[in-house]
Amino acid sequence: MSQDTKKPGVKRREFLKVLGATSAAVAAAGCSEETGKLIPYLVSPDQTVPGVSTYYATTCRECSAACGLIAETRDGRAIKLEGNPDHPVNHGALCARGQSALQGLYNPDRFRSPMVNEGGAWKVITWDDAITRLSQGITQTRGANRAGGAVFINQHESGSFPRFLDTWLAGFGMPPHLSVDFESDAAAIEANRRTYGVAWPSLSFKDAKIIVSFGADFLDSWGANVPQQLDFADARARLDGAPRFVYIGPRRSLTGLNADEWIACKPGGELAIANALAGKGSIQQAATDAGVDQAALQALATELAANKPALVLSGVSGESALDVALAVAAINQASGAVGVTIKPAQPLTGFEGIAHTDQLLGAVERMRAGQVSVAFVRGVNPAYHLPKASNFADAFAKVPLRVSFSSFPDETTELCNLIIPDLHSLESWGDAEPIRGTIALQQPVMDPVFPTNSKTIPVAPGTADVLIQVAKKDATVASKFAAPDYRATLIAGFPGGAQALGAALPKGLAAGTIPARTLAAAPAVAPKTTSIASTQGEFFLITYPSPLLGDGRGANKPWLQELPDPVTKVSWSSWIEIHPETAQRLGIDRGDILEVKTANGTVRAPAFPYLGVHKDAIAIPFGRGHRAAHAMPMFDPKTHTVGEVQWGYGRYARDLGINAFDLLPVGTHAAGGFIWTATKASVSKTGDNEALPSTEGSARQHGRGIAQAVNAADLNKPGAGEGGEAKEALPGDASHAFLPGLRSPVAADAQGDLGAPTAADQGKNKGLYREDDIRGMAKRRWAMTIDLARCTGCSACITACNAENNVPTVGAFWQNATIYADQKPGFNITRGREMTWIRLERYFEGNPDGKFGQDFETRFVPMLCQHCGNAPCEPVCPVYATYHAPDGLNVQVYNRCVGTRYCSNNCPYKVRYFNWFGYGEVDRKQYAFPEPLNWQLNPDVTVRGKGVMEKCSFCVQRIREAENRATLEHRELQPDEFTVACAQGCPSRAITFGDAADPNWTVAQLANDKRAYHVFEELNTYTAVVYLKKVNHPAAGATAPRA
Amino acid sequence: MQGVLGAFREIDSAVEAIEDLKKERFGDITVFTPTPRHEFEHVMAHGPSKVRIFTLIFGLAGVTFGYWIPVWISDYWPLVVGGKAIATWVPFTILGFEVMVLVGGLATVFAMFALAHIPRLTMTVGYDARFSGAHFGVWVVTDPDRADDAMTVLKKHGAEEVRRER
Amino acid sequence: MATTATPLPGGQRPNIPSAAVRFPAIKTYDQVDREIAGTLGPSLGWFGALGIAILCMLIGATAWTYQIHEGLGAAGYQPPVMWGVYIVTFVFWVGIGHAGTLISAILYLFRAGFRTSIYRASEAMTVFAVMTAGLFPILHLGRPWKFFWLIPYPNWRLIWPNPKSPLVWDVFAILTYLTISSTFLYIGLIPDIAILRDREKNPIRKAILSQLSLGWRNSDREWRHFTRAYLFLAAFATPLVLSVHSVVSFDFAMALTPGWHATIFPPYFVAGAIFSGIGMVFTIAIPLRKAFKLEHYITLNDLDAAAKLCLFTSSVVGLAYLTEFQVAWMSGNRFEQDYFWNRVFGQWAWAAWIMLICNVVLPLSLWSQKLRRNPAWLFILSLFINLGMWFERFVIVVPSLSHEFEPWQWGTYRPTWVDYSILLGSFGWFFMWFLLFIKQLPVMAMAEIKEVILPPMRRRRDFSHDLTQGVVDPDETGATH
Repeated sequence: MSQDTKKPGVKRREFLKVLGATSAAVAAAGCSEETGKLIPYLVSPDQTVPGVSTYYATTCRECSAACGLIAETRDGRAIKLEGNPDHPVNHGALCARGQSALQGLYNPDRFRSPMVNEGGAWKVITWDDAITRLSQGITQTRGANRAGGAVFINQHESGSFPRFLDTWLAGFGMPPHLSVDFESDAAAIEANRRTYGVAWPSLSFKDAKIIVSFGADFLDSWGANVPQQLDFADARARLDGAPRFVYIGPRRSLTGLNADEWIACKPGGELAIANALAGKGSIQQAATDAGVDQAALQALATELAANKPALVLSGVSGESALDVALAVAAINQASGAVGVTIKPAQPLTGFEGIAHTDQLLGAVERMRAGQVSVAFVRGVNPAYHLPKASNFADAFAKVPLRVSFSSFPDETTELCNLIIPDLHSLESWGDAEPIRGTIALQQPVMDPVFPTNSKTIPVAPGTADVLIQVAKKDATVASKFAAPDYRATLIAGFPGGAQALGAALPKGLAAGTIPARTLAAAPAVAPKTTSIASTQGEFFLITYPSPLLGDGRGANKPWLQELPDPVTKVSWSSWIEIHPETAQRLGIDRGDILEVKTANGTVRAPAFPYLGVHKDAIAIPFGRGHRAAHAMPMFDPKTHTVGEVQWGYGRYARDLGINAFDLLPVGTHAAGGFIWTATKASVSKTGDNEALPSTEGSARQHGRGIAQAVNAADLNKPGAGEGGEAKEALPGDASHAFLPGLRSPVAADAQGDLGAPTAADQGKNKGLYREDDIRGMAKRRWAMTIDLARCTGCSACITACNAENNVPTVGAFWQNATIYADQKPGFNITRGREMTWIRLERYFEGNPDGKFGQDFETRFVPMLCQHCGNAPCEPVCPVYATYHAPDGLNVQVYNRCVGTRYCSNNCPYKVRYFNWFGYGEVDRKQYAFPEPLNWQLNPDVTVRGKGVMEKCSFCVQRIREAENRATLEHRELQPDEFTVACAQGCPSRAITFGDAADPNWTVAQLANDKRAYHVFEELNTYTAVVYLKKVNHPAAGATAPRA
Repeated sequence: MQGVLGAFREIDSAVEAIEDLKKERFGDITVFTPTPRHEFEHVMAHGPSKVRIFTLIFGLAGVTFGYWIPVWISDYWPLVVGGKAIATWVPFTILGFEVMVLVGGLATVFAMFALAHIPRLTMTVGYDARFSGAHFGVWVVTDPDRADDAMTVLKKHGAEEVRRER
Repeated sequence: MATTATPLPGGQRPNIPSAAVRFPAIKTYDQVDREIAGTLGPSLGWFGALGIAILCMLIGATAWTYQIHEGLGAAGYQPPVMWGVYIVTFVFWVGIGHAGTLISAILYLFRAGFRTSIYRASEAMTVFAVMTAGLFPILHLGRPWKFFWLIPYPNWRLIWPNPKSPLVWDVFAILTYLTISSTFLYIGLIPDIAILRDREKNPIRKAILSQLSLGWRNSDREWRHFTRAYLFLAAFATPLVLSVHSVVSFDFAMALTPGWHATIFPPYFVAGAIFSGIGMVFTIAIPLRKAFKLEHYITLNDLDAAAKLCLFTSSVVGLAYLTEFQVAWMSGNRFEQDYFWNRVFGQWAWAAWIMLICNVVLPLSLWSQKLRRNPAWLFILSLFINLGMWFERFVIVVPSLSHEFEPWQWGTYRPTWVDYSILLGSFGWFFMWFLLFIKQLPVMAMAEIKEVILPPMRRRRDFSHDLTQGVVDPDETGATH
């Protein structure tokens, strides 16, 4: 099935490149002087046609991987981000966080202008003033000969900027900057460097015979998750010889849920296991140390020995992290993985030069000691990330000049005294080297969202430009910065200069390397930590970066707040994972507020009983719990005035949930990385209980066969496609009986009623399908296949859909009713009023009694409108607001809907969503798109009003766009010419969209797969969505888990 | 219109009075009674009411219209819903029935109005408020020269009050 | 139907008691007019009651206004439960309406004697109940201001409602029902209005009443067509009342939803409707006969007979409940079985048991004649029946939706103050109209009671033969002459 990896959407991309070729000039306008304010054009530039999108290739800066982006812009506004199909790293895929970059760009709480804090009061200043103040500050420092004591903490990124920054700093006699990425795995990087000499070799899951992960969550946030996920899916989708995947660790993360087998060791037990597998130490000993089943471990050892090459990964973050990583490296080498599944020859350069946490802590100590004269922060939030124990705030306060280049009012910025907001990566120039030998370009896809407030500076400058201007003010440094702005600097440094750059921009890619910044070799690290064994408390405390909010930087984006966590399905709230068995012992129910206490702090959050956490441990995700330094009133959209700063990382993040960093001691392991699993904790019930904002109804299928699976061994047996072990036979069950229905616009065709006429049908009244009907005969049947063997449950499809279809987020605490209404965050989610058109259902199989054990399986099912041929929702609508289009679409007419909600009651799949409030009405407190978030709205799609039903439309706007384009070019639609948003965004290519009535489309071929099945087929709804069964690879002799 | 009006306390007196008046060839007699009594039905001997015909005709018209409307609607703008046929007869029976009841019922009422000559805006001669209470009234239309005979007949049968009206 | 405790005089049809038995305490026509017309005209207690009713109505109206402004989210909807208190209350009120038509139309055709004294009140109840019910489908819309899109009328948009949708069938059924039942009520009122007109001294009121009475003169011609038209209306109303609640039940039965998708629904709903209606008749008639001192009109015999009807429908409903479970059990359909288990033993057990106890268990007390003839008990029981029947609809609507095919979308339902206020408002609205009615127009059909009691006679004669025909369609004999 890997043949369709790159297929969908490519034709569309070809088209946009043509457009893009002319776009370099427009892009240049990004820093030119024509327009100050972003309003729809009166007279549009030649390149833009109103109502037709322009596409720009650029680079994603949401994490270190530097994936390639295609930004779709309409009338000068970016409205959608998609992966760049030509990009060597992400091949057109993009994760939820990457797609949400738009909400960073349009975030209503972005700084609109520089600010200065005078006597504790914040004051808006002009750009000129800001730059002057900065250069004065620096001059003073130099005057006092204290420039050497400067600290520049920068968000880690690859490309030219780090080097440029160092040059700038050096110019003023300042030391190189600290490039910080809290999510990076220092231990793995260190081990890689020692073993292979590179920070991050590219990984090939395809070539592995078996995959073993020691807590390396390569599908959530470990490493470059998009390429990893893509490759993993390709590997696992092979119907024969797909690698088994074993996950070792105390908590089953999203990655762990995708594993065939989970060896639940207790925290810290990984080292023993790794050593044993590496041949150091006995299996038996390891089993006892790690508290796992010896047989399982033995089996794994044998399996590893039998299947070479293996791909073994380490993502442990405990005191023994480095040792595990090294042991794992040894295993890989032993199994001949190097060069096959692990390719040091093609390193991901994005992971080079990340500063260790202990370096950062060192800087903090220097601040505390008063040695730091000036501190710069850009894109990093140490005041949030560094545990309370480090007293960052006090130390930071000792620095006289504290400059923040952050765009958002985060915790650290609030502690600064000068704010010069950076431009968003989608507004500014830059470059990256995602993989050695390839330069990925970052170009502005639109003018800056917020206008400049300066006469002399026509467009708000990015940090790089600010630095250049500061440099120009200083005679000694000016010589080093001849170029007028950063763009010019880039062009100067680009191999081939302006010409080459212009040529490369449309694809956003060029061959070549970017000279790396010269770093003094990192000093040997002395681990600062107290052994976890010596800490108090009955539970191990596992903390981990949320797959969606990461280390917290995603928290100000409503899409990511609303997106249910792939594992727990909780949104808009923190939670504490505890094993059901333990919870039962302590009498803890779901939603009970627990108090977790460590030596370093105490937090309170609702409990989430979860099968996938070790019964001696509790787990808390990072990402929420942002707080303003001084208490701020609850955000109220009615009284809020534009420009009023929402400290505490913005309205969507402030005072929401808990910050797990508060619980942690300041500890770094032998690689200098921060230790996440550093302490034990004690748990007590507070007696309160609150309903978790969760989209989860029942986590069990109750034998209804919604998510079906088949064992790899049985795949090639005759009749493997029939039934399915988790599915009980239901009346009217007949596999593949749906196929004729799928081939034709309405399923009734399968019963010989409507649709394409046969000779016998001539002159028969066929409604829409009449020969004389102006809308013509139905030619197509738009359909979709979803391969559960590929789907990892990452939820990127949901964000893609939100962006494409203007789906509102409804979870903010102020989006409830006004009078006597509960104002809890996520209340609407608790009420089940989420609006996402596609949802990811996560069903557990096995361990039904919640007893501790590893033999439970997880199945993810993307559930969206099935566009039934015999749609139950249609006949019950009293006003024809939903009906069947000739090409098989189940259409929803918002303007006609009166809101009886009968259609939803009659929908077996429950995929219709109702506008309970006026989420799209500007003057309401429930408004979901506060200026300028509304700039992101897709002009092709209505923003639905209060009181109407809505649902997945199969991206009908994309279908019509493609059809119209084909018509304009006097041709038929080409197979797989275009695809829908969720399919396009899916990083594992699980979703395929197309015309099932035309055998040339991939979807039509996939529908014939023997794993194909319909959900609730026995209802004779003849859905257009065909699911392909998940493929399980149980350990030899293991029985498949039962629901 | 001239005539004689007699008010009776007892129903049997009224009945007998009418029988005598008929013997005396007094043609145009109207009875006022607080409540429908068979005694008067018998003695007046009118045929059955014509209302039934209207009920039948309009009932049939209603059911036809009730079927036609949904069929026409479905065919006028043919939209496929739930993969069903454009015009589905079976469920339309419901609409057919409801419209039949509506049209038939209203037709019955209006037929009754028409046949019973209501609504009338004025109380014409020959009515007395007592007739809605406890009295039975007999109104004989006659020319003045025979009025006395009518009055005597009525009196003979114990009419509580007898008066000429013009 | 109405057998009574006291033995009948010989030579009469056993099922139709003589006037002596029916209304022993009513002697003359004058007495009827005096006593019934005497109930009219406001009293202090009446003003108080009306005030409370209007207050409740205003509370509901306020809540609705707020809901329209804020959006349906103000109510407690909690997907997948997309229908809640409003639809429950809609079905509840439609059901209430049915007893009125049953008593006035069906019992008229069946010649049930006990109908005479209570049918006017229950007919009024019907009209007002349907007026109340009719509000709810509009009120539960996401965009109530577009409700008229459900009505088929020629419009410049050239678009029409979907005649395949049960909701459109509802529109037809409810509107027809409202029209016919209010016409029926008015036609029946005309002779009585004429009586009031002739008794009225106040010229203004007299003028109004004259208009309302359409100049009715009690002439034999008028009576002849009147009785026949009344008969046909009754003949229409009888199948109508059965059809309306069947159509309402189609809203559910036509859906796939487990717990809704059942062929038993139409008869089950009709029985339930009549059951709840009789309950409401008790709730209204028993205080009424006390307040208006009309015990000798609404006699214990009448209550007794109505109570038997109540007992009968209660057992029909009980049987329907059992059948539902049995069907689910035998169907082998996993979805049905899960749902019904969840209904009685799962999250909704409390509601299901309120329903079962109020509708099936308590009415069993009516097997005892003592209790059947005990107005106090009947009144208390009727309150339980109203409660139970509201919860029957709740159990049908909410649990089914909360426990459908998709386990991931299983949920629950918590109404908010808005739902409750509007529920309260609906009672306020209903009783406001009813109270206004009983003081302006006679709550009993005077003319028809006169029809039953002995007419004034000069000579003693055995009128029992005629009397037995007191409630018989006059044409039966008229035609044979």
